[in-house]
Amino acid sequence: MSAVLQNLVNQPYKHGFVTDIESEIAPKGLNEETIRLISAKKNEPEWLLDFRLKAYQKWLTMTEPHWQNVKYPKIDFQAISYYAAPKPKNKLASMDEVDPELLRTFEKLGVPMHERAALAGVAVDVIFDSVSVATTYKEKLAEVGIIFCSISEAVHNHPELVRQYLGTVVPVGDNFFAALNSAVFTDGSFCYIPKGVKCPMDLSTYFRINTEESGQFERTLIIAEEGASVSYLEGCTAPRFDTNQLHAAVVELVALDHADIKYSTVQNWYAGDENGVGGIYNFVTKRGLAKGVNSRISWTQVETGSAITWKYPSCILRGDNSVGEFYSVAVTNHYQQADTGTKMIHIGKNTRSTIISKGISAGKSNSSYRGLVRIAPTAENARNFSQCDSMLVGDQCGAHTFPYIQVRNNSAKVEHEASTSKIGEDQLFYFAQRGIDAEEAVSMIVNGFCKEVFQQLPMEFAVEATKLLSFKLENSVG
Amino acid sequence: MSETLPNDYFSCLLGSLPIDPQDSLGWLKQLRAQAIDQAGQLRFPTVKDEEWRFTDVSPLTQLPYKPAQKAGTLNISDIQHFFIAESHHRLVFVDGFFAPELSQLSADDQLLLGNLTALASAKASLVETHLGQYVQFRNNIFAALNTAFLQDGALIVLPESCVVSSPIHLLFIATQERTTHYPRCLLIGESNSQATVIEDYVALGPDTYVTNSVTEFSLADNAQVNHIRVQRESNKAFHLAHSAVALEQSSHYRSVSITLGALISRFNLDVEFKAQAAECTIDGLAMITDKQLADTHTCINHATPYCTSQQQHKCIVDGSAHAVFNGKIIVRPHAQRTNSSQSSRNLLLSGSAQIDTKPQLEIFADDVKCAHGATVGQLDNEEIFYLKSRGLNELAARNLLTYAFGAEILDRIPVRSLKHALEQIVLNQTQSS
Repeated sequence: MSAVLQNLVNQPYKHGFVTDIESEIAPKGLNEETIRLISAKKNEPEWLLDFRLKAYQKWLTMTEPHWQNVKYPKIDFQAISYYAAPKPKNKLASMDEVDPELLRTFEKLGVPMHERAALAGVAVDVIFDSVSVATTYKEKLAEVGIIFCSISEAVHNHPELVRQYLGTVVPVGDNFFAALNSAVFTDGSFCYIPKGVKCPMDLSTYFRINTEESGQFERTLIIAEEGASVSYLEGCTAPRFDTNQLHAAVVELVALDHADIKYSTVQNWYAGDENGVGGIYNFVTKRGLAKGVNSRISWTQVETGSAITWKYPSCILRGDNSVGEFYSVAVTNHYQQADTGTKMIHIGKNTRSTIISKGISAGKSNSSYRGLVRIAPTAENARNFSQCDSMLVGDQCGAHTFPYIQVRNNSAKVEHEASTSKIGEDQLFYFAQRGIDAEEAVSMIVNGFCKEVFQQLPMEFAVEATKLLSFKLENSVG
Repeated sequence: MSETLPNDYFSCLLGSLPIDPQDSLGWLKQLRAQAIDQAGQLRFPTVKDEEWRFTDVSPLTQLPYKPAQKAGTLNISDIQHFFIAESHHRLVFVDGFFAPELSQLSADDQLLLGNLTALASAKASLVETHLGQYVQFRNNIFAALNTAFLQDGALIVLPESCVVSSPIHLLFIATQERTTHYPRCLLIGESNSQATVIEDYVALGPDTYVTNSVTEFSLADNAQVNHIRVQRESNKAFHLAHSAVALEQSSHYRSVSITLGALISRFNLDVEFKAQAAECTIDGLAMITDKQLADTHTCINHATPYCTSQQQHKCIVDGSAHAVFNGKIIVRPHAQRTNSSQSSRNLLLSGSAQIDTKPQLEIFADDVKCAHGATVGQLDNEEIFYLKSRGLNELAARNLLTYAFGAEILDRIPVRSLKHALEQIVLNQTQSS
C-alpha cells in the first residue's frame, strides 16, 4: 500500500552495535575438556561438574529434534565457543568501578542503571555476555531475606539451595538443547524468596549477547518458598551480526505452597536483516513447577526479535488448586520464524490454566502456536481456557496453530478457540476518515489486538512493548 | 525398521497377493504393481509417527490376517435389515467381493453404477484418470495395500446434469473371521450432477477382521454430492479407511460420518479445493465405549480462493474408550477469501475415557476468515438439574442430554430411514450405559 509503511517495516535494528571489550574466549568446540574448563574457570564444586558431565553424556546420545515448524541450516556444535567472559578485573566495590565502555553500552541500550534503579525501584542484575558484572539493590533485598544474584555466585554462597533445585524442573536429559545448556551453561540469575515474603520490587535482568559467534547458555532458577511472591522481568537486546548465534537458555521456576511467580519477558534480539541473513536462534526451555497447593505460575512474553524463536514456557500444575497462566504476543516480520506456545500439565485437583496467545506475522515470516493441554487422570475438576488468535499482514506470511488437547479425566473442562484475521482495507479507511494515517492505524489495531496480553505486563514493560510493536510493524501494511 | 513383527505381517500379506486376473487391464496392472512396490518399501506406522501418535495399530500385526476369499452366497433375508427403504440403487459387497445377486441396479437414470473392475474396461479412460489419483499411496501404507489388493469396488459415474433422486447405498458386509478385506469406491461426478451416496460398513457377527478401505470422490463444476458414511463394524474389528475428495469450481460436498463400531478405527478424510467457490460441509460423530478407539484425521486443503469449509466433529466417549481427532485446515498462499470454520466437541462420560483432540490451522494467506474451537467436558450439572426439575430422574436426564449431543450431527443426515435407524442405535447405547 503506502511507501511510508514500507519504510517503517524496513527500519534497521536500532540496537545494532558491537562493544569492543576484550573477551576471554574458550577455544571452539565441545568436549569433556571444554566442560572441565568452564567448571574450573568458574571455580565450581565437584557436584556441579558431575551435573554438567552427566548432561553432556546424555546430550551425546540425543539427536537434534526436527518436528518443529522452523527451518534453519544445520548447527555445527563444534564451531561454537562455549565460554566467553569479559576480561576479569579486580572485584568491583561499586558501580564506579565498572568498565566505562560497558556502562556506555548500557547507556546506548537505554538502560541507565542508576537512574533506573533509583527512579523505577528496579534491581537490575545485568548479564553482559555470560558473566554478571553489576548487581544493584542487593542489600535492600537482603534485608527481607531475598537472594537475588548470578547463578555462579549462588553456587558458591548457597550451594545447598542450588543443588536441591537445579535440574528438578528441567532434568538434564529433558531435550536436546536443555541437555546442551546443562552441560555448558555459564551464567544466569538465581532468585530465592523465603517463606512468606512478598518481594518488594520487580526483579529484572537485562541480557545481552555481545561476543560474535559465542553461544549463550543462560540458566535461571527461581524459587518461591511457601507464601512467597515475586515478579521477575527479563528483557533482551543484541547487537547486529551476520553469523547466526545460538541461544539455548533454561529457566526453571519452583513455586511451593501458596507461592506466586510471575515471569515476564520482552525479547527483541537481532532478527536478521530484511533478507533473512543473520539473527539469533532463540531455542529456550522454560518451565515452572507449581509444586505446592494454591501456587500460581504466570508467564507473559512479548517476542519480537530473533531470527528463530522456539520455546514453550510451560507449567506443571502438581499442587492442588494451583494455577498456570500463559500470555504471549509473538511478532514476526521479514524472514523471522516463531514456533512458540505453552504446555499446561494438570496433575493436581482443581487446577486451572489460562492461555492467551496472539501471533502477528508480516513480510515473509511464519509464526506458529503450538500448545499442549494435558489433563492427567488425577486432575479432578481441572479447567482450561485457551485462546490463540493470529493476525496476518500481507499475503506472503504464514500463521499456524497446533493445539494438542489430551484429556484423561471426565470431570475436566477444556475449551480452546482460535481465529485468524487481517488488518482490513475498510478498517484502515475508517481510521483515515478520522484523520489517522495508516501507520498509526496499524499500530492502534495491533495494540488493541494484543491488549489482553499487554495488560499482564508490569507498567514499564507494557510501555516498551507497545512501542516495540509499533516500530516492528512499521511499513508492513501495503 | 527394527520391529520384526510388522515385516512378518507384510511378507505374509504380500505373499498372499492374488495373481492378476487374466482380463486385467494394462494400466490397472501397473497401478497394482506400483502399489505393491510402495507397500514393500513403507514401514508399519508406530506411535512414534506424529500421524499415529495416539493410535497404536500394533495389535493388527499380531494376527496373520489373510485376504478374504470369495465366500458362499448370503441370502437376502440375512442382510435385509441393513437395507435403506429410500434407496433404489444398491451395491452389496461381501468381504470386499461384489455380490450382484444381493445388489439392486435400477436402470432408470443415466447413472452408471456397478463393479469397478467390471466397468473399468468399458470406461477405461475415465476410470484411469481418476482411480488412485486422490488417495495417494506414496506415503500411505494402508492405501498402498488397498491398491495392491484392488479387485472389486464400487464405481459411480454421474454424467453431466444427471440428478439421482434416490440415495445410492454401498453396503460392505464382513462375514469372515480373521481376514482382511479391501473395499474400494470411486465416484466421478460430472458437471451439474447431484447424488446422495451412503457408504455403509456392517458385520454379520462379532468377528475379528480388518477392513482397509479407500474411497475417492471427484466432483466437477457445480456438482453436488451428499456423502453419508456409517461405520458399524463388529466391536472386535479393525477399520482403516481413507477417503479423498477433489472439488472443482462451485461444487458442493456435504458429508456426515458416523463411527460406532470397530475395536480400533482410523478414518482419514482429505478434501482438496481445486477451483474457486467450492464448498464443503463435513460433520462427524464418534460414539464409542468399552475399549474402543476411534481416530478421525481430516485435512481440508484450501488451495484456491473463495472456497468455504465448515466442519463439526463430535465424540461421545464412555467406558475406557479413547477418541482421537486431528483436524487440519491448510490455507495455501493466494487462497484469499477463504472462509473456514471447524469445531471439535467432546463429551467424556466415564472416568477412564480418554480424548486427544488437535484442531490445526496452517494459514499462508492474509485475507481469510478462519476459526476453530475445541471443547472437552462432561454433561452440565445445571442442565441435568433443569431436567430433574421437570420430573426426569437423574439417569433419564443424562441419557437425554447425551442423546441430544449426538443428535445434532444425526439430524444432518438427509436420508430419513437411515437417520431413524442411527438415532435408535445412539438412543440404545445411551440407555445401556
